[in-house]
Amino acid sequence: MPVFKTPFNGYSVRFSPFYESRLAVATAQNFGILGNGRVHVIDLAPTGPVINELIAFDTADGVYDVAWSESHDSVLVAAIADGSIKVYDTALPPQSNPVRSLKEHAREVHGLDYNPTRRDSFLSASWDDSVKLWTLDRPVSLRTFREHAYCVYSVAWNPKHADVFASASGDCTVRIWDVREPGSTMVIPGHEHEILSCDWNKYDECLIATASVDKSIKIWDVRNYRVPVSVLNGHGYAVKKVKFSPHRRNLLVSCSYDMTVCLWDFMVEDALVGRHDHHTEFAVGVDLSVLVDGLMASTGWDELVYVWQQGMDPRAS
Amino acid sequence: MTMTQSPSPPNSNDDKPQAVSAEVAQEANQAQQDVGAEAAKQSVPASVFVNSEPIREDQVSNAVKFLSHPKVRGSPVIYRRSFLERKGLTKEEIDEAFRRVPDPTSSSKPASLNQDGQAKSSSNVQTQAPIQTPQPVAVAPTGIASLEGRQFHWYHAVSAVGLLAASGCGTALLIKKVIIPKLKLWVRKVVLEEENDYAKKIDAKPSLAEEAAAAAKAAAAAASDVAKASQEMLNSKNEERRRFEEFMSLMDAQVQEMKSMSNSIRKLGGQASSSGRVFSDHDDHRVSASSTKQSYANGKVDVNVQLEGRSSTPPASAEPPHPKSYMEIMEMIQRGEKPSNIREVNDMPPNPNQPLSNPLIAPRTKPWDAQNGSDHQVLQSQTSAEGLNQNGQDDGLNYLLDDESSTPWWQRKNVRITEIENEDEVKDTGPYGVRTNEQPPPPIQRTWVPPRPPPVAMPEAAEAIRRPKSTPKETATQEQSADGQSAAHPSEVTDELQRITKMSESVGALEMNGGFSTGNSAVIQEQENSYGEN
Repeated sequence: MPVFKTPFNGYSVRFSPFYESRLAVATAQNFGILGNGRVHVIDLAPTGPVINELIAFDTADGVYDVAWSESHDSVLVAAIADGSIKVYDTALPPQSNPVRSLKEHAREVHGLDYNPTRRDSFLSASWDDSVKLWTLDRPVSLRTFREHAYCVYSVAWNPKHADVFASASGDCTVRIWDVREPGSTMVIPGHEHEILSCDWNKYDECLIATASVDKSIKIWDVRNYRVPVSVLNGHGYAVKKVKFSPHRRNLLVSCSYDMTVCLWDFMVEDALVGRHDHHTEFAVGVDLSVLVDGLMASTGWDELVYVWQQGMDPRAS
Repeated sequence: MTMTQSPSPPNSNDDKPQAVSAEVAQEANQAQQDVGAEAAKQSVPASVFVNSEPIREDQVSNAVKFLSHPKVRGSPVIYRRSFLERKGLTKEEIDEAFRRVPDPTSSSKPASLNQDGQAKSSSNVQTQAPIQTPQPVAVAPTGIASLEGRQFHWYHAVSAVGLLAASGCGTALLIKKVIIPKLKLWVRKVVLEEENDYAKKIDAKPSLAEEAAAAAKAAAAAASDVAKASQEMLNSKNEERRRFEEFMSLMDAQVQEMKSMSNSIRKLGGQASSSGRVFSDHDDHRVSASSTKQSYANGKVDVNVQLEGRSSTPPASAEPPHPKSYMEIMEMIQRGEKPSNIREVNDMPPNPNQPLSNPLIAPRTKPWDAQNGSDHQVLQSQTSAEGLNQNGQDDGLNYLLDDESSTPWWQRKNVRITEIENEDEVKDTGPYGVRTNEQPPPPIQRTWVPPRPPPVAMPEAAEAIRRPKSTPKETATQEQSADGQSAAHPSEVTDELQRITKMSESVGALEMNGGFSTGNSAVIQEQENSYGEN
């Protein structure tokens, strides 16, 4: 399984929705505390377990997240720690990039998500407690959602309802929003500690998973959100990111500060179905490919990006 | 606390818009959201992403008690809301509680509030009862306030202690200065007298005794003076020490108060900014609070700390082991140093109005959209809608077969043929993964697909190769040079060559446009068709 070494500490990895073999990696210098950042666009070589870098973009401040456009196959957006969002187009020559710099957030932008159904808009989650809605053709945001009392770490569009999204925040709540409404439509006080990530189930649009500092992942049904559908314990430290599989209803993957990437089946009593401890530092980013069933990637503060097929050992060569 | 049944929600919902108009400006936002939510509820009754629970009276009354607390009154509204949300109240319940809390600005509110007299009187009783209890609680803080005073008094005490200490030291010094000269004088006197006595010893013997007596008396007087002075000094020192200790104890008490106040203020006040960015470290709840750069390591807005008397809950996880250099960098930042590996990068867009390049590929349908057959969002053809039966059939995790098949290594290789036949779009064939949805894709090929021919370096040569259909001699020479072992019919070979060169030329043309995509999907499709034919 191939490995890609980044010069800076990894923060996020995302598969392209257009090209099976393409990924984007967000990295930040000095663990993201202070320093430059870099966005890598990498390709999996078809012949062997090799990863080649297509292009890399340097930024003045660390990059915390990256998201591919769902409408343009060569466009990606990056969340920068200075509060701006940079838009890159890999089909243009490198000196034309970035094509946009959207600066509105007052604090670091920590999460991005592109709308997979409408394909025209994306959301940004920031440590200034707000979520903003953008489109690629406008230099200003369309909406600002300000209700959280603390940093918003993650935001996720609902895969079925094009106007609904969820945001996870350090104020220990997850809020469900509808872009047609001025405020949040639902508040789920999911954990007693900060919630770092949330993701919707792709096959049941009412199920949402939340990952928290309290080391657990909880699955909620928004129709009955007082009690979680399932609580997944097994990580040794805070869970940084959770992602539902685009191909299987019950499968989700998570990465944690305990340096492992875990696979779960939340409908089963013994939910942990796989664990990979290939990283030697915090595992902070994980993604499942929408185009290839079972293909997954992870990155961590150990400056490595692993891509492997589910069931294989990421470190196998 | 007696429980009263809250009236049916429709009543309360109807009254809400009326109460909205009488709302204070600060809650206008929430009121608008309520109205919006009401409208949404009525217009989209089937939306599952909205709360449909009725208002719980017990939760609302608890919230009212909480909001009536004087310490809570002083905190920002957003933190009060956040606390209540964390306790599980819905938006409607929180808004109702905010409405019920007696507000000095709008005295007419209780009259305009909703529901019949029963609920109102019960809620009033409930609000009055908690008002009584906060009053003694309010008295105590004011007592402490009067005792400790404001910072003015604190500084006063400090300065008084300082003055006393200084005066004590001053008197000690003064007395020392008095004593030493006195002693010196006395010693000199004695020495002089001794000398004198030594000199006059012989001649003034009888007066010697007198003089000695006088000297002794003087010495005694001096000694008594000294004794008295030292006694006084000791006394004053003791007194000062006592007073100092009293003041120190008072100061300690005051410092404790100040610490607790500052802790609560910090928690209520939220984040402070730092010069370097402190990684919002949810695990570092216990990062030492000494430096100002602690910032939002402990950003939890625990308003309940003062009320319920319990300390803020420590994080569930112990501190995860940060990499060593992470701690080094954190320390560097806290000392104010900047790590040396940072460079100046200009990442601003060179042309903010740069148009985005046209997409080369049309967006693909998502596997969950295709599988569920919902096609209202699918932009392209729905050829794959029926074909996919992705999940459930696989027995858990089906893995790569480690054979020498030439499909890309990241593909999942399934043994079952039926699945292979059915999966079309998601499983790709060529190594480049370029597909269009404009027509039903060719049957799945698992064999090696030839890569695109390389771009033509010299289009003139391509032209030359293409042109000589006329002279078989030239073609023979061409084909000998191009394809040494070719024994096929020249026409076929030339056709083949023509096709290849034509395609490569077009590819070359595309590439020679400077890499700008022209969206020439027709060309791509044609190439794919030709591949399919091959």
